[in-house]
Amino acid sequence: MVYTVKSPALLIIGILMMAWGWLNASGNIDGIQSSLQASAYKDHLKVKEKFDAELAVATELAKAEGKPAPDMKMPASHFDSAKATQTHMSYYFGGAFVLIGLITLMWKPTEGSLDYFISIVPGIAFILAIAFIVRWGLDPIFGNWGKAAAPTLGWDFAKIFNLNYVVIGIVIGMVIVNVFKIPAWAANGVRTARFFLKTGVILLGTLYSAAELAQLGALSVVMIGIFVLGSVGLVLFMGKRMGSNNSMTAVLSAGMGVCGVSATVAASPVVQAKAEEIAYTIGTILIWGVGCMFLFPTVGHILGMGPVQFGAWAGTGILNSAQVAGAALAFDPKGIETLKVAEIFNITRVLFLPIIVLWLAAWYVKHEEGAEKVNLAQVVVAKFPVFVLGFIAMFALSSAGMFAPAGHYKGKYFSSTEIKEEKLLKGKETKAIEAELTRLREGEGAQAFSKYLADKNVVLEGHKVTADEAYKAMSDLVANKKLSTRQQDSILESVAKLEGLDALAKGSIEKAHKNAYHTSKNIKSYRNWIAWLFAFGLIGLGMQITGKALKQAGGKPLIIGGVVGTLKAVGSLVVVLLFVKEFI
Amino acid sequence: MLNTQIILLGHHGTEGAKLAEKLAFDVAVPQQTLIVHLLVVPDLWEGMQGDDWLNNASTRDTFGRYVEGLLEKDAAAQLSALEARCTERNLAYKSIVLVGDPTECFVKTALQEQATLALIGSPRPKGILGYRSGIKLDALVRQLKIPLLIANTAS
Repeated sequence: MVYTVKSPALLIIGILMMAWGWLNASGNIDGIQSSLQASAYKDHLKVKEKFDAELAVATELAKAEGKPAPDMKMPASHFDSAKATQTHMSYYFGGAFVLIGLITLMWKPTEGSLDYFISIVPGIAFILAIAFIVRWGLDPIFGNWGKAAAPTLGWDFAKIFNLNYVVIGIVIGMVIVNVFKIPAWAANGVRTARFFLKTGVILLGTLYSAAELAQLGALSVVMIGIFVLGSVGLVLFMGKRMGSNNSMTAVLSAGMGVCGVSATVAASPVVQAKAEEIAYTIGTILIWGVGCMFLFPTVGHILGMGPVQFGAWAGTGILNSAQVAGAALAFDPKGIETLKVAEIFNITRVLFLPIIVLWLAAWYVKHEEGAEKVNLAQVVVAKFPVFVLGFIAMFALSSAGMFAPAGHYKGKYFSSTEIKEEKLLKGKETKAIEAELTRLREGEGAQAFSKYLADKNVVLEGHKVTADEAYKAMSDLVANKKLSTRQQDSILESVAKLEGLDALAKGSIEKAHKNAYHTSKNIKSYRNWIAWLFAFGLIGLGMQITGKALKQAGGKPLIIGGVVGTLKAVGSLVVVLLFVKEFI
Repeated sequence: MLNTQIILLGHHGTEGAKLAEKLAFDVAVPQQTLIVHLLVVPDLWEGMQGDDWLNNASTRDTFGRYVEGLLEKDAAAQLSALEARCTERNLAYKSIVLVGDPTECFVKTALQEQATLALIGSPRPKGILGYRSGIKLDALVRQLKIPLLIANTAS
């Protein structure tokens, strides 16, 4: 079979992308970009103002000395960087699409791997074009509208309803498949969405520290263990009580308990589910998953949840794994902290899948007369998620410092030696800290300070921080005008929170902290690419959620699913709010 | 008088379809009528695996083969059973299996097979397990150019 569909669509998408790149590079759309990238443009104006002033002074000086006007270059602002990113991405991808588009039109495809790989490119270009429009256009437009309406409404509707690139992208994907249909030339490529999502998860492995992974892993095993096993058990119980078929009950319990559609797909053949039962189960799960994906982030913002809390809640409470990633990115679209937490939960879920499938296989054989016995070892091997090995391998390579030096994994890293001369604390700032040091060393100040450190239980490397250690950290900061060690930074972070501390001293400590942390370029670009991969994958998956599949939700599965889904969502929310703190 | 030379019968084993079959046998003329049995596998299955991304290819293939097997087995059983009943009554029989939207498939087949009469069952009562992808009566009535009989559960 020949997969490539001859169509000018890929060439047109490529040309449009290159045109967008050129418009950005030439500055012809700076007016539009200045309103789309409003905050970056503000930064640009500040940088320009500063540069103009410096240039004027330098020109004056040169003129006084009889020298020619200096040749100075304005430093790049955030606005320039944003435009450069759009230009480069548009040129690289657009150029590749134009080239492959021309080949597609001229080439006579024959059966084989080349034909297959060429056939997926138009679909990839289609999703990427939507991702560009959503991330560079609709996301900032809704953001601006939300801010503009906030004074009248009293709240930012774009933020509360999460009208960011992830949510808008998924909605556009769903609208395309259900209203317009996916064009034939894009159909093959759209199916690659899951490959990009898995790649995103694998790359995510680079961004965890061992401690983080251990803490999140333990938390997810406890939460998933309780709620997955609880949901599976509850569905089995309710199904029996409501007189559902054994196969219906078993397939629904896998879907409701573990990871939604993926679990249904894995369990259906094992429990010999009937076609209608599979359709009902998947319909029910999709309706719940899509509903939760829109609802969870809004509730999370209203309750003021942090990344760990929200990631844990979404990772446990949302039935379908694709919507877990969607909700996590919708909640926190600028960073990937929430996604990092949620994906650990997704991985834990998928690792639970073979166990649950085995349980259901045993349950089905016990309850159904004439049920075929299943080869348990074969089930475990067949259902093992191989991509998790990729995640673990990337984590191991990253921990060995393969991609960035150790300690850079969070995107920011501590380095005293990289602090520039002009960033050192000024005289009045060190004097303010010195004055506070004197006050905290004597009489009532010393007593209150020791009590504060004890009450706050300030712990460093397993021991309680003493007042003497804090005095030394402050003295060193005064002497060096910068932080020298991470330990000093940790101690002074607590000191800065002391009530009644002089405002200038507090600000100076915070400034020193900020100066000591640097952005890791490698990790920053990694994070950016991972966010793109997930956005791409989720838009593609959105294009595969059909109304016809959603419409199948109904009957007893919907009742059981509704009860168990609600209990799981509310129960996990209560547990997260009560027991999960932002400790990672 | 109804022209019963070629009866297009939409039938996929539901209670409504069984009533439609009974009505078809009532109006058909032995040795004259051709029963064209249309069985539509709803295209809702195309979107059923779409949202799964965690499974590996082997699990997805197993699921695909399993569902295809179920649908094929079900279709084969329906076709052979109706063929046998038609043969019993001296009625000519032809089967057509299509994957797609039931309404579109029905209209297309009526035209292709030059059916003189179309016959379907009434919609499934609420609470009965089955696909939610039945024929859209309004669209069917507008597009069909031949008489349409609907066998009602109450009749």
